[in-house]
Amino acid sequence: MDEKITLAIESSCDETSAAILRGGRQVLSNIISTQIPIHQKFGGVVPEIASRKHIVNIMPVIDEALAKAGVELADIDQIAVTYGPGLVGALLVGVSAAKALAFTLDVPLIGVNHLEGHIFANFISHQDLKPPFMALVVSGGHTSLVHVKDYNSFSLMGQTRDDAAGEAFDKVARVMGLPYPGGPQIDKLAQEGNPNAIDFPKALQEKGNYEFSFSGLKSAVLNYLNSMKCKKIEIDKADVAASFQNTVIEVLIAKALSAVKEVGCNTLVLAGGVAANSSLESRLRAATEKAGIRFCYPDKILCTDNAAMIGCRGYYQSLASNFADLYLNAVPGLELQDL
Amino acid sequence: MPILAIDTATMVSSVAVADEKKLLGELTVQTRLTHSETLLPHIQQVLKMAGVGKNQLKAVAVSLGPGSFTGLRIGLGAAKAIAYGLNIPIIGVPTTEALAWHYPVPGIVTIPFIDAQKGNVYSGIYAWQESKIVELSPVQVYTLDEALELCGQQDTTVMAVGDMVQKKLANRQDLPANFQIPPQHMVMPRAANVAMAGLSRLAQAKVDSVMNLEPIYIRRSEAEVLWEKRQAALKEATGTSDEAEK
Repeated sequence: MDEKITLAIESSCDETSAAILRGGRQVLSNIISTQIPIHQKFGGVVPEIASRKHIVNIMPVIDEALAKAGVELADIDQIAVTYGPGLVGALLVGVSAAKALAFTLDVPLIGVNHLEGHIFANFISHQDLKPPFMALVVSGGHTSLVHVKDYNSFSLMGQTRDDAAGEAFDKVARVMGLPYPGGPQIDKLAQEGNPNAIDFPKALQEKGNYEFSFSGLKSAVLNYLNSMKCKKIEIDKADVAASFQNTVIEVLIAKALSAVKEVGCNTLVLAGGVAANSSLESRLRAATEKAGIRFCYPDKILCTDNAAMIGCRGYYQSLASNFADLYLNAVPGLELQDL
Repeated sequence: MPILAIDTATMVSSVAVADEKKLLGELTVQTRLTHSETLLPHIQQVLKMAGVGKNQLKAVAVSLGPGSFTGLRIGLGAAKAIAYGLNIPIIGVPTTEALAWHYPVPGIVTIPFIDAQKGNVYSGIYAWQESKIVELSPVQVYTLDEALELCGQQDTTVMAVGDMVQKKLANRQDLPANFQIPPQHMVMPRAANVAMAGLSRLAQAKVDSVMNLEPIYIRRSEAEVLWEKRQAALKEATGTSDEAEK
C-alpha cells in the first residue's frame, strides 16, 4: 500500500489553503483560510488585497496543516502546488513558497492545474470512484466538459466560449443588488421563485456541440430587468433568479448527459465551485437517475477552493512522474487540455 | 555560520551567502526573466558556488520593500518557506536601508529613489554612523521633484540609489549640486547589502517571525484608497443632509 505523504498548497484566488494527504485519497488535514469577508465590501475579489493576505496566511496555514495531520516536515515525500489558472499575484505566493520548501526539504515538486484539482476532489469524496467518467466542471471562471479516460489521460469535450456559468451568476446577482458572492444568493432566492416564469434563451443547442455560451443569457436577464424598470413594472426577483438558474441548469444537464452518451461511459461527476449550488446538484441527480448513470459530486468543503483536491491530483501526477522543476512559474490563464 | 540573503524588490534579482567574516558568494542579475522563475534556481546555484550546504545556514535575510509588490512577495514567500523548512530565523531588512549599505561613508547621506509608480518614488534619508546605517528620515512617497528638492536641502553630499535613478535620473540636467549618481553596480539593490544588514541585526538578536512578517508596502492597494474616498464622500453627503434637517 502506498503511504506517500503529500503536502499540497493552493492560493489561486481568495482562499489560502494547505493539506496533507496519505496516498492519493486519505486527507489527514485540509486547512482553508478564506478571505470572503475581506472582499465583500468591494463586491468582488481585489487581486492586490488577496495577494497581501496570502503572504501573511501562507506559513500559519501550512503549519496548521502539518500539526493537525500529526506530520513532521521530515515526513513529507512531495509537494503539490496550484500554478494556474487564477490571479497571478495570488498564485505566485503559493508557487514561491512551495518551490522553496521543496528545495529546502529535497523533495519532488508537482505543479497542479487548479481545474484538474476540482475534478479530482471527487476521488476524495468517493473512495471507490475510478476513471473513465465524464466531468462537468462549473466554477467562477470556467465551464467545461472533460472526458477523464484515466488518471492521467483527459480529453476536453468542450468549454465556454465567453462567460463561465459562475461569472453569469455573479453578474446577474450584482445587477439584482444581491451581496457578493452572488452564486449562493441566486440559488437561495431561486428556491422561492417559479423557474418557468420567464423564458430566457439557450445558446449552442445543436446536437454534438459541447461548447457553452452564457453571455447571451446574461444580457437577456439584464435586458429584462432594464425593460421592466423602464416600464415601471415591479419584478419578482425570486422568479428572475429561478428562471435564470433554471436556464443555466437545463443547458448544463442536456450537454453533460449527451456527452456521457457519446463517449459511452456510465458516470458523470460534477466539479468546481458552482457544484455547491443545491439546485444544480439535485437536478443533475434526478436526471442521471432517470438515465441510469452514476452521479458523483464532492462534499461541500471540497467544492470550494482547497488544497486537498490539489494534493489528490498531485499524487496521481506523481504516479506518472509528472513533476515540475524549480523554474515553475504561475500561469494565470492555464486551461484544461487533452492529456 | 553563513546566512542566505534575497533581494527581489526591483528588476534586479539578487541572492547572496555571507558570514561575519566574508561574502562567500553573490548572484545578481538584471534581465527580462521573471523573479518567480529564476529565484530558486539562483539560490540553489549560489549555495553550490559558495560551497555552503543549506543545512549550514543559520538565518535567511530578505529585502522587505518598499518596491514591486509582486517581486517582494516572491522573495518573502521563498524566504519564509526556507526559514520554516530549516527551522532558522528570518530577518526582514527594508530595501531602502539595504541600498544605503552601498555607502558606508561618514559625513554623507544616501537617498534611495524606488519606483512608487505614476512618477512617484519611495525615499528616505540614511547615513553611516558608528559602523552601521541609520535612518535619519523615514521612508515615504514623494513625487520625483519633491524627492530631488529633499536632496537639495541636505548640507552634504547625497548619493542617489535605487531603480528610479537608473530609469529617470541618469540623463537629467537639473539635478542639485550636491547630488551624486554612482556607477550602475552601486545604484541597484544587491543581496550582499541585505546580508550585511541582516548579520548586523542577527548580532543584536533582532529577528522576525515567518508567521506574520509582511512586506513594507507603504502604499495601500488602489481598491482600498478608492473605497475609502467613496465612503468619505458618502459620509459627507449624508452629514450635510443631517444638518439640513436640523
